Amino acid sequence: MKISRKLMSLAVLTALLMMTMGVAVQAQDTTLTITWWGSQNRHDRTIEVIELYESLNPEIDIEYEFSGWSDYWTRVNTQAAGGNIACIMQHDYRYLTEWSDRDLLVPLNGLLDSGAIDASGISDSVISSGSVGEDVVGISLGTNSQTFILDADAFEAAGIELPAFDWTYADFESISLQFAEQGIWGMAYGIWDDANLKAPLLSTGQDLYNADGTALGITDSQVLIDYMNMIVGLMDAGAIPTMDLQADISAPGLEGSPIVDGREAMRYQWSNQVVALTTAAGEDRNFVLYPLPRWGEDGVTPNYLKPSMFFSITEGCETIDEAAAFIDWFTNSTEANDILFAERGVPVDADILAYLADQVDPVTAQVFQFIADVSEVAIPVPPADPAGASDVIENVLVPLFVDPVLFGMTTAEDAYPTFEEEANAILAQNAE
Amino acid sequence: MANEAVPTENVFDAPPGQQKAKNTSASRDFKLNNVAGYLFISPWLLAFFLFTFVPMIISLGLAFTNYDTLSQTGEFIGLGNFERMFFEDRRYWNSVKATVTYVSFSVPLRLAVALLVAMLLNSDRRGVYFYRAAYYIPSMIGGSVAVAVLWKQLFGADGLVNAVLAIFGIEAIRWLGHPDYAIWTLIILAAWQFGSPMLIFLAGLRQIPQSLYEAAEIDGAGGLTKFFRITLPLITPIIFFNLIIQMIGAFRAFTQAFIISGGRGSPLDTTLLYAIYLYIRAFNNFQMGYAAAMAWILLLVIAILTGINFLISNRWVYYETDLE
Amino acid sequence: MATVQSEMNRSSNPQVQAFNEQKKRQQMIVTILYHLGVGFFGFVMLYPIFWLVASSLKPADEIFVNVTSLIPSEVVFSNYTDGWQGFGGITFATFFKNSFIYAGLGTLIQVTASVIVGFGFARVKFKGKRIWFSIMLLTLMLPGEVLMIPQYIIFSEIGWVPSFLPLLVPRIGGSAFFIFMIIQFIRGIPIDLDEAAMIDGADQFGIFRYVIAPQLKPAIITASIFSFYWTWDDFLGPLIYLTNPRMYTVSVALRSFSDASSITNWGAIFAMMLVSLLPALMLFVFFQRYIVEGIATTGMKG
Repeated sequence: MKISRKLMSLAVLTALLMMTMGVAVQAQDTTLTITWWGSQNRHDRTIEVIELYESLNPEIDIEYEFSGWSDYWTRVNTQAAGGNIACIMQHDYRYLTEWSDRDLLVPLNGLLDSGAIDASGISDSVISSGSVGEDVVGISLGTNSQTFILDADAFEAAGIELPAFDWTYADFESISLQFAEQGIWGMAYGIWDDANLKAPLLSTGQDLYNADGTALGITDSQVLIDYMNMIVGLMDAGAIPTMDLQADISAPGLEGSPIVDGREAMRYQWSNQVVALTTAAGEDRNFVLYPLPRWGEDGVTPNYLKPSMFFSITEGCETIDEAAAFIDWFTNSTEANDILFAERGVPVDADILAYLADQVDPVTAQVFQFIADVSEVAIPVPPADPAGASDVIENVLVPLFVDPVLFGMTTAEDAYPTFEEEANAILAQNAE
Repeated sequence: MANEAVPTENVFDAPPGQQKAKNTSASRDFKLNNVAGYLFISPWLLAFFLFTFVPMIISLGLAFTNYDTLSQTGEFIGLGNFERMFFEDRRYWNSVKATVTYVSFSVPLRLAVALLVAMLLNSDRRGVYFYRAAYYIPSMIGGSVAVAVLWKQLFGADGLVNAVLAIFGIEAIRWLGHPDYAIWTLIILAAWQFGSPMLIFLAGLRQIPQSLYEAAEIDGAGGLTKFFRITLPLITPIIFFNLIIQMIGAFRAFTQAFIISGGRGSPLDTTLLYAIYLYIRAFNNFQMGYAAAMAWILLLVIAILTGINFLISNRWVYYETDLE
Repeated sequence: MATVQSEMNRSSNPQVQAFNEQKKRQQMIVTILYHLGVGFFGFVMLYPIFWLVASSLKPADEIFVNVTSLIPSEVVFSNYTDGWQGFGGITFATFFKNSFIYAGLGTLIQVTASVIVGFGFARVKFKGKRIWFSIMLLTLMLPGEVLMIPQYIIFSEIGWVPSFLPLLVPRIGGSAFFIFMIIQFIRGIPIDLDEAAMIDGADQFGIFRYVIAPQLKPAIITASIFSFYWTWDDFLGPLIYLTNPRMYTVSVALRSFSDASSITNWGAIFAMMLVSLLPALMLFVFFQRYIVEGIATTGMKG
């Protein structure tokens, strides 16, 4: 085991030198950097698009990075701290405000006005959905909306009628109970995540946060309390699996969802997950896409058109014009979208949407149609989550309100005041 | 703080029995040799000062601020983080509880299994090579995403573990979702991955000269005697090492728990290990100052416990150099 | 060197022979029990691995449907071929190469340094030793997340990002874990040999080179095995310092497969994960016997 010291140090030195040489940048062209998250499918497609762009624009050299969802934020947060963040970054609603408030994103208003990014085919509400205050900080890469997926075959087998498109939570409750009598879950998915808790609120004209994000926007807390009580009731009746089963159900991800093997009759997803779910469920399944239920007869359908994800340009980017050109081409060109094929969601540009509608598979076409139907009744996009929202959800909403109520440790009425107090405290503090 | 927390007299000084004899060869020949000493540890000193020292000091400073991860700005807030941590933060105490539970059970379990198996595999029977590899492989898939999927399958309501329990007539347990049981999936995972301490025990066991055992056999010693009079005393340095290391590691456990609990410490924060909560605060909530405060409290606790362990180690750890 | 047992085996005394027979039978029973127990437990230990192997050979839609079954309905290798393709033309060949560079060099540097430093702490008397030892242990106790960003900024400022340098250069200091481990092992080596060498005129460096280092074989092997696969598994460091996809290690690449919002190719993840186990496993299998050989103390009076 004895390696002479000289030999070893020589080896180390050589290796280190080799490593550093590989890093030397051959930059005579302009270098554009871009980073995104996704899975193998998205990585492959995006890289193909990038290479196509490079061949069409030989003076541009694009350096890219990618990762899975969970690691993405660890990496980009660290890079932002070190001033190394890529020029174009894929962004998500969850953190858009946080980044924008800290002046880490370049406002794109100028680029949109000048047409550097051609938004003529993109609806205004989609553009404004990528805004924080007056600044447009993200260009949507795909339109998304929430959907309840109903297994039409299960309904038929159980002798239950499919509801109307503008159904209510009362309908949902009664359907779930009927399925429970036959030993099938109405819905296994936890409709108590923050996106779903917002639904009854939005349906009754409220929101989780108030307009400037300084406090909760709940004006009628009874709605939320009744909603939680509804869930507890459904759990007691066996229409929704109880909390101790939830971990098992979510364990294998989309592919193992109970709707795939028929243990549940309805399933909640975002529309851009429908294709993955249907693929996992197998062919000749009869899934029908419904919007979220309304709360009460007077409630509105709480769906809104949410960007699935954004492209943002980061502060400190020295190639803003090139970045804008790339984003423009990415969104609007048929060459790019032939490859991307709506993988990130329903295309935001009306022309591309029409262009792809004929070419996509039936399920994707179904999703396109759903978005079209929903956009007729959709409410305007609520403002992006305010600063401190992640803190509220992670450290207050779930551990102090949702979980204790659903685990049966307290009631919604009792837990609500604590939640309200602590959430408001965090939001107020962050608003400074 | 560093100096008082970890007394180390007993690792380096001659044990009590020898302290009186100043004329023994040990103290006569090994005189103070500062140059050699510092030369030998110079690589570590260099790396420490270049890459670790400054970040450590920075993180200590951050603990007294409300530094924001993303904007890299913050103000001095004195003991504000600590006040919040100890008096206002419910989740903090949840994470402490989860971590203490985890450490208290996983460390002894892991060490006991590791030692037992190491002794079983410390033989020259056929197939022992294969067995060693078999027992070691689980440790190698440590931090991967696949472990989470795997473990959830095993402990799922319809999973293998419940199937085995059913054979014994025990009702299925909702391991993953039930607040009382979820932490046990992590503890058992830790026990399953005992490969590292086992290997270290094995190396230690192999270091014991066979001649000692043979001499004892001639004197008529049986299996148990050999174990308690030869094996155990001679591997106490290794037991000590494993104990310290496993304890430190258990307090800092992150990767497996993070993946299995989906990064949230569910259900009901019972799997919210300290390091996970720290990560959430640092990266999801961007509260790096608070996270730094948490980190240094953890260091303090671990340092105190380690110091206590070192202090009482001279009562049971037996170094070869005491053979005379 | 004759042992009692070998002497007895050669005896022609019938009583001794009968005793030998009985002993042999007893040993056989013990052996069978041993293999049953250890073997069964080994199977239990390995069951999750078998599950991973089986799942990697199952077609995508079967993995979570036929969960407990260890036998795929049809054996497919597509998970391996699809997974190996990696992303956008960068295959796992590149990722494996990077992992080998990182783990190989990293282990070499780290273990060598740890042995040197460990000897200093264990056998050399010098002023301030206790203080430095305590500080060294302290570095083990601080959660890495809070050091991550200051360190990243330092490395970024000196232009080492992205490259392997931030991952390799700090390793010249060894690692507190291995240093501590080596110290404990050295403590187990009798001081007599040191003294003998000293009488022969060797200085500390000589003692290190000729007395201690050779006897540390099991410890060094163990440390190398650990260091290799821990480095191989490390993803946080490569995640932030090796951001160019051509520099990704296997650990980072594996995690790039999973995204909650789109189709995750679990079969591919399992397949690639199993493949990535092979180098560390082979290292272990190959070097196992060096641990087993133990230290050579024959010739010692003990």
